[in-house]
Amino acid sequence: MVNPIPYIDLAWLVPAFPLLGFLVTGLANKSLKHKQAGIIASAMVLLSFLVSLVLFFILRSSGQNEATITLFNWISIGGMNIPFAFLIDHLSLTMMLIVTGVGALIHIYSIGYMHDDERVNSFFAQMNLFTFSMLLLVMGANYLVLFIGWEGVGLCSYLLIGFWFKNPAYNYAARKAFVMNRIGDLGFILGIILLFITFKTVTFSEIFSQAAAFPVGAPVITLITILLLIGAVGKSAQIPLFTWLPDAMAGPTPVSALIHAATMVTAGIYMIARSSILYNLAPLTLNIIIVIGLATAIIAALIGLKQNDIKKVLAYSTVSQLGYMFLALGLGAYSAGVFHVTTHAFFKALLFLGAGSVIHAMGGEQDIRKMGGLRKKMPLTYFTFLAATLAISGIPPFSGFFSKDLILSKAFEHSVILYILALGGALITCFYMFRLLYLVFFGEQRLAGAHPHESPKVMTIPLIILAVLSVFGGFLNIPSLFNGDSKFSNYLHSAVVSKASEELSHSTEIGLILGSLLLLGLVIFFAYRTFVSKSMIPAKDGEPMSFFSKLIYNKFYIDEMYTAVFEKPFGYLSDFFYNKVENTVLDPVVDEIGFTTARVGSLLRKLQQGNMSFYLFAMVAGILLFIIFILIV
Amino acid sequence: MIVLVILLIPFIAGLLLLLNRNAAAVKLVALASAIVSLVATLSLVFTAQLSSYSVIWINFLEIKFALGYDGTSLIMLILTSLLFPFIIMAGMKREQQNVSLLYALILFTQSALTGVFLAQNAFLFYIFWELTLIPLYFILLLWGGEGRRNVTFKFFIYTLTGSLFLLFGIIYLYSLTPGVHTTDFSAFSNLNIPANTQIWLFWVLFIAFAIKMPVFPFHTWQPSTYTMAPTQGVMILAGVMTKMGIYGALRFLFPVIPLGVHYWQNTIIILSLIGVIYASVIAFRQTNLKTLIAFSSMAHVSLMVAAMFVLNYYAVQGLLFQVLSHGVTIVALFYIVMLIEEKAGTLELPKLGGIKLLAPNMAILFLLVVLGSIALPLTAGFVGEFLIITGLFQQSIWFAVFGGITMVLGAIYMLYAYQRVMLGEKRPGSGNITDLKRIDYIVLIPLITIILVLGIYPQPVFNLVEASVTTMQNLLVPVAEVIPALPL
Amino acid sequence: MNEITSAIQLIPLQHYIILSVTLFSIGMMGVLFRRNIIAILMCLELMFNSANLLLAAFSAYHSDPSGQVFVFFIMIVAAAEVAVGLSIVVMMKRNVESVDINLLNRLKW
Repeated sequence: MVNPIPYIDLAWLVPAFPLLGFLVTGLANKSLKHKQAGIIASAMVLLSFLVSLVLFFILRSSGQNEATITLFNWISIGGMNIPFAFLIDHLSLTMMLIVTGVGALIHIYSIGYMHDDERVNSFFAQMNLFTFSMLLLVMGANYLVLFIGWEGVGLCSYLLIGFWFKNPAYNYAARKAFVMNRIGDLGFILGIILLFITFKTVTFSEIFSQAAAFPVGAPVITLITILLLIGAVGKSAQIPLFTWLPDAMAGPTPVSALIHAATMVTAGIYMIARSSILYNLAPLTLNIIIVIGLATAIIAALIGLKQNDIKKVLAYSTVSQLGYMFLALGLGAYSAGVFHVTTHAFFKALLFLGAGSVIHAMGGEQDIRKMGGLRKKMPLTYFTFLAATLAISGIPPFSGFFSKDLILSKAFEHSVILYILALGGALITCFYMFRLLYLVFFGEQRLAGAHPHESPKVMTIPLIILAVLSVFGGFLNIPSLFNGDSKFSNYLHSAVVSKASEELSHSTEIGLILGSLLLLGLVIFFAYRTFVSKSMIPAKDGEPMSFFSKLIYNKFYIDEMYTAVFEKPFGYLSDFFYNKVENTVLDPVVDEIGFTTARVGSLLRKLQQGNMSFYLFAMVAGILLFIIFILIV
Repeated sequence: MIVLVILLIPFIAGLLLLLNRNAAAVKLVALASAIVSLVATLSLVFTAQLSSYSVIWINFLEIKFALGYDGTSLIMLILTSLLFPFIIMAGMKREQQNVSLLYALILFTQSALTGVFLAQNAFLFYIFWELTLIPLYFILLLWGGEGRRNVTFKFFIYTLTGSLFLLFGIIYLYSLTPGVHTTDFSAFSNLNIPANTQIWLFWVLFIAFAIKMPVFPFHTWQPSTYTMAPTQGVMILAGVMTKMGIYGALRFLFPVIPLGVHYWQNTIIILSLIGVIYASVIAFRQTNLKTLIAFSSMAHVSLMVAAMFVLNYYAVQGLLFQVLSHGVTIVALFYIVMLIEEKAGTLELPKLGGIKLLAPNMAILFLLVVLGSIALPLTAGFVGEFLIITGLFQQSIWFAVFGGITMVLGAIYMLYAYQRVMLGEKRPGSGNITDLKRIDYIVLIPLITIILVLGIYPQPVFNLVEASVTTMQNLLVPVAEVIPALPL
Repeated sequence: MNEITSAIQLIPLQHYIILSVTLFSIGMMGVLFRRNIIAILMCLELMFNSANLLLAAFSAYHSDPSGQVFVFFIMIVAAAEVAVGLSIVVMMKRNVESVDINLLNRLKW
């Protein structure tokens, strides 16, 4: 038994603060002023960030790698013992710091962004509830506590996507997100149950220590990992369950930044990284993950090329980046995946908040064809947005370069084709991000009558902090190539067991980096020529397009396909069951039994005409028959 | 002795109500009686010694008036006495016709239901089983909605037909008892009935319970009855009566004819899972909110039936937990349905919408109950369904998959209903809706608290039923070798 | 008394039986085929009396008086029945202005 670490029990405070914030802002909804609610909510998240930091140092100074804090026994029957417990180790601390840190910034930003909405208090209550659920997710010491958070964030995502509930399209998007997540969750919970049946426990540490007894490729482990993967695919918006994420942009922009970019959608990656020991035993599943991740990365990036809604572009880029993280997981480079989660949280949150700032300035306009020339009007937003764009494109020394390069080099180790495909995706990413940047900030202002202005300080300060993180975040994990010591990967090493792989020689790596930089430069130049020099504006809706553009513009018709294959038939099936099976077979059969009885009755009634002579005749005939019967027998 | 008190309180209170004509006083007395019953029932939980009561009733037939309970009955008793105060409160501060008769009938139903769960021999069980039907029949007939005459008639005849089979089964078992014939449950469970007999006897006994629960395809009375029934009637039906079917099956089938159960096990599980999916799919296209919830209730109960027939430890624990959680959730749901109907004057989904704009608190509470119903973690529904699916998984992964689909389908139709009613722009049907009154909070807040508390700390319920679950799951284990199950 | 008995016994038993069977059949046919309710009542009486005749005859042949006791019983019951029956007839006549039995066809309820 490890020695108890002093003060580590304080961990329960981390989720407790946002929960408190939720209760206060939720219950005192009517009596709180808008600003008060915002300040309370932000303060709570900030407090839990501080506690997380303290925990980080406590754990560091204790010299131990992990600590479990059990609050109470949740379900304890027979052989099933599921405590409500938190696990504090390097992985969960990393995630806690991201969630609370980025979360706090986004909360503060929201004070400015949401200030004129009449339901601000509900907004902050739900944001705090989300933070609470997300913390449960990353802190849970067993799969079931993780699942509480998992479903909790799904609920909050549902609530916040449909925050402006008057609009039926938003409500539909919210429901779509929840249902698609639930499909994944079904796989996840079945996976948890199979874990329980196999290992008789759902606690991480116990499962992982027992898993060593299984051989690589054991069918039951493969099945478990596939079921868990279904959950991750739903939550992290991978093919085939990714279509909800772009629609989820219906929610307010800070929601998109916090939930649908920085934190919730990375839950799938967190969960797989957490289960790394199991996944290492299932090479088949890892290969599936590679295929899913790569396909998602490329398809989403392609779709991103033709989107004209500023948030939709970012949404598809999120899906695409999540694909990269999956690729890293599939390659067994779990810490690389988590590292990309971290840098992505910085720059994608920044992109969304920057987009929010733009939308705010444009008075709610989201169509990039109507923007332009904002560089001079909103310099702060422009520079931060630029930093984030460079980061996501993977330009050194911005943070995205380090994390993406790590994934690409792992792909190269695996196979060259994988590397080329992944690099292709990265180039497309670079192109559409610069397309976005040029269309929004360069050229002339195209929307008449708009008076864009820089956002208030409460919004720009979070932007600046995130910009700093986006620029320097990569230095957390400097590879040996640049004389670094891969601090981040090593830090995670105790919690996440990455697959061992041969290191590339430094010369190969330098070659790859230089090659890809050259290509990136070309792409940026090409984008500049197209959108700035030639000032080309994307076609209006309804203008004729080439087949391929049309395919991309319509997102490969995947939504339409799902509607045709699942949604519509489900409706038909429902009608069929109700109108045909229930109302023309099952129910009538029962009624028919009743009617038959009645019909036999009315047949027999004919004998009862009330005619006295007939009665007498029947009586005599009956007696005679009776006598005859007796005589014969 | 205390069990007799629990049985008689509602009965006597009901008789007293008939003498009174003052509507408000009648409701208060009814509520007081229900609360006293609740307290008395809860006292059973905290007394270590099992309370029982027994006198010779019909001398020459050796039939005793014997009352008693075990873990399973205790859960059912708690459910009954917990729900009835809320069922009575659902009528408070509301205009109702012929109040004293209505509340007397409600209390008589409670008394009869309590009797079912307390009865210690089949004869008494059957009498109470049929007795529940009589007051309920009048509640549905006299206070029901459109088309009540036909629907009530169908409901009555359908369930009565099922009961006749049960009566036949009981008489048959009675004739099999050795020595002086008896109808005690304990004597029944000691009968060693040959396997071939058990196989047909199973259906004779099961059909009554199958209709009451209801199991697909014996459910057709349910949607129309629920839709037509007055709120308090439907609360009794969905909250407690369905559980009576489950209780009956647990009492009669598993101890008495384990071989028959084992033989038909897979058939019934498959039927129930068909019911789960069938009801969930149908619910999606319903335009009437009450019918939609009726189908959702059927889906949940079908899942419980599947769990019952899997009969392993986790499934039965989950089942008994879910009995409580489903009862509370469904009563809360129907209460909100009543509020919507009262305020908007319609339950047709196309005519509703935007109620959240006018009544935000009502929308929040509705959402909480909906979340409980779709088994979100930290609500009671999750704990129950998680255990049930774990139990199903131990039998077969496909049972778990199809049982689990209810999680997805439930989310689809419940959220659809929620959004249709509460969100969107205001529609004409929404009219001038006001937010909740104090009485609504008094009913809904405790119900939701129960849902949440059971979801966060379910352990007390587990401990309560632990012993009887262990006995029950042992029933099927040894017979597995004696007779092969019906091949799939 | 004995003379009466011996007088009865002068005629063979078969004759009584044949007579009473004939009478009974006539009565039965009347009940079945007549429509006049009074005629039906009379035919009923005829059937009673055929039975009475047989009872009396057997009683004489077997020297057992209980048969004759039964005859009295039957006569009394028949008298009571006629009283009820005729009053029904009177009511019927008053209500439907007829004694046709086919008009009484509402006995099915």
